[in-house]
Amino acid sequence: MIRPHMNVVEIENVTKTFGDHVAVNSLTLAVPQGSIYGFIGPNGSGKTTTLRMIMRIYHPDPGAGAIRVLGEMASTAASDRVGYLPEERGLYKKMKVSEVLRFYAQLKGHRNPNPLIRTWLERMGLSEYIDKKVETLSKGMSQKVQFISAVLTEPQLVILDEPFSGLDPVNADVLREAVLELRRKGATVIFSTHDTAVAEKMCDFIFMIYKGNKVLDGTLDSIQDRYGQDTVRVRVEGDNFDAQTIPGVEKVSDFGRLQELRMAPNTNPQTLLSELMRRGRVEHFELTRPSLHDIFVRIARPTSESTSHTEQAGAAHA
Amino acid sequence: MRKTLIVALREYVVSVKTKAFLIGLLMMPLMMGGGFIVGAFMEGRVDTADKRIAIADYTGRLFDTLDSANRQRNDAAIFTGEGAARKQTLPRFVLEKIDTGGTDMQRLSLQLSDRIRKGELMAFVLIGPNVIDTNKDPGQATLNYYSNTPTYNDALGWISVVLNEQIQQLRLVGAAFDPKVVRQLTQRVAVGNLGLVKTDAAGNIISAEETNQLANFLVPFAMMFLMFMVIMATTAPLLNSTLEEKTQRIAEVLLSSISPFELMAGKLIGIMGVSLTMAAVYLSGAYAALSRAGYVQFFPWQSIWWFVGFLSLAVLMYGSIFIAIGAAVSDMKEAQSMMTPVMLLVVSPMFVMQNVIREPGSTLSLVLSLFPPATPMLMIIRQTVPPGIPLWQPLLGVALVLLASLVCVFAAGRIFRVGILMQGKGARISEMFRWALRG
Repeated sequence: MIRPHMNVVEIENVTKTFGDHVAVNSLTLAVPQGSIYGFIGPNGSGKTTTLRMIMRIYHPDPGAGAIRVLGEMASTAASDRVGYLPEERGLYKKMKVSEVLRFYAQLKGHRNPNPLIRTWLERMGLSEYIDKKVETLSKGMSQKVQFISAVLTEPQLVILDEPFSGLDPVNADVLREAVLELRRKGATVIFSTHDTAVAEKMCDFIFMIYKGNKVLDGTLDSIQDRYGQDTVRVRVEGDNFDAQTIPGVEKVSDFGRLQELRMAPNTNPQTLLSELMRRGRVEHFELTRPSLHDIFVRIARPTSESTSHTEQAGAAHA
Repeated sequence: MRKTLIVALREYVVSVKTKAFLIGLLMMPLMMGGGFIVGAFMEGRVDTADKRIAIADYTGRLFDTLDSANRQRNDAAIFTGEGAARKQTLPRFVLEKIDTGGTDMQRLSLQLSDRIRKGELMAFVLIGPNVIDTNKDPGQATLNYYSNTPTYNDALGWISVVLNEQIQQLRLVGAAFDPKVVRQLTQRVAVGNLGLVKTDAAGNIISAEETNQLANFLVPFAMMFLMFMVIMATTAPLLNSTLEEKTQRIAEVLLSSISPFELMAGKLIGIMGVSLTMAAVYLSGAYAALSRAGYVQFFPWQSIWWFVGFLSLAVLMYGSIFIAIGAAVSDMKEAQSMMTPVMLLVVSPMFVMQNVIREPGSTLSLVLSLFPPATPMLMIIRQTVPPGIPLWQPLLGVALVLLASLVCVFAAGRIFRVGILMQGKGARISEMFRWALRG
């Protein structure tokens, strides 16, 4: 892993309110150079607002807080060295793909973007669309064009708001490979996602914001360590097997083949295992740390955590 | 500044490349020039088939004059051009003398009407027995033209002129006057319409020139209409383009590279370029047309720079208003209702244009032309109607419009900054004012 020696983004005690609504509350965050930083959190929790503040599209509430991007405190438009992919795609429909990309690159101060445009379109499998109008592209294609516009000028910091949403697995892989390539070349990547599985696999650091407050921030290990080894993954064959009724089990997430049981504090896993064996044939028993998904759900849905298992399972495997 | 120019360039290129711009560019010359072209095309293509007209002359003294006048007409007046280019452009009239022999007028008119219905005649004229002698029963002094083609008046007009001249002649002779003397005595005197007398550098008096009424009205009107058209054609689309940037979330991408004010400034500069391009095309077209037609002296050189200046300011003023609306609303339907009052402001000079052209120097005209939304169009009228207006008036106008434009740009900038990233419901007018005031 790259040794962080400098923070690309430093947010200190920043608050942003819209009217009476506090979107981001006294946030402090540091993004080390060369890292991939994942922003997670439910819809409307403040992810996009935070990203927009880093892009200087929004300005924090006046007061003590400050945001430093690439070492600069600029109060006007964001630096040319930052690339941005907004949550919803923003392309001129009537312009040609190459024209839009050239325009966006020029706005980032790039004077001759044409060779780069060709290279990137080729890489994303869009070469034949270079002279097509944006309105002729499919949703996935325009998302890739938007991605190219964010990374074309080889920015030092790339901010991607939900880069993988709505992409098919093939295109998601193409995009993921491109993101990792950017990091290999030394760029720092911040992206937001709903998909905790992607965040788990890709991110060096994970930041979770919930109702405007930072609730998680650190490496996946450090986050999981905070929650300890309180989770057991089991597969038990047996008639009318119901883990919910076992003493010491706080919550059951049913993924079909596997069930994830969360143990109450101070439950002995050995006791649990023998109880399971008593009730059926145990085919799989794994003592593990909670998944990011599980942690996400624990934070975001503390009151209704034992309901709608299928929906969570679906989300985790999407 | 570089980025502002990049935005301006995109706005310019995209606007100029649209079909709407090209169509708009061609529309006015087509509408104005099209009439002339079609007219010229149609001129040689009138129906020159003979027109048969029956004349029932109850006086018995008028037909021969009419007949000889008609022969002259058919030999000369219906042709244009000389030599090989000589071409008949009007129909011949063929006059048929009707024997009135005792048939009363009513019955005769029925017979002749039937002949028209059958297509044998185009028209007939009944000349009453007493048209010459005014002392006799005026009921018999009628001169009537009957036809089934009430909109074709050429024959009626020609017959009326020829017969009246002859009737007057006969009356004068009957009263023992010399028609030639009477003509001389009753000749009308034309009133000359002149400008003012000037002196040249040497102090010699230069006599006044005949004023050209057409040019005096047409030039100011054309200048104002051109400005109106360019303002409408270029600033209103800014609303659409801003709305597109807002709803398509393009604004968010742009604002990650450029500040809202730079973005708005870029759009305004771009559209100013579009409007000046449009104006340049029209003005050069007008110049070319005038010089071809030999009227190049009417081209308003002295007010061109004023025109350019006022047009730029007007585009700035109205453009920023349209940008603000585009940023504040969430769809075209909402935009429509907010556009109406702005449109009224743009159109307002049209309502008072006539008065201002007729009396450019009046206090009312001065006051109207200093109302900033109307200043560009009304001031250019007042400047192009001779003899023009004192320099301080357009200067004051420019200052006021500049001030109004700056206020508009400033307020629009604030509305733009807040509105452009706001999704969902559009803003109400009151909210827009609050954004503009509080920032």
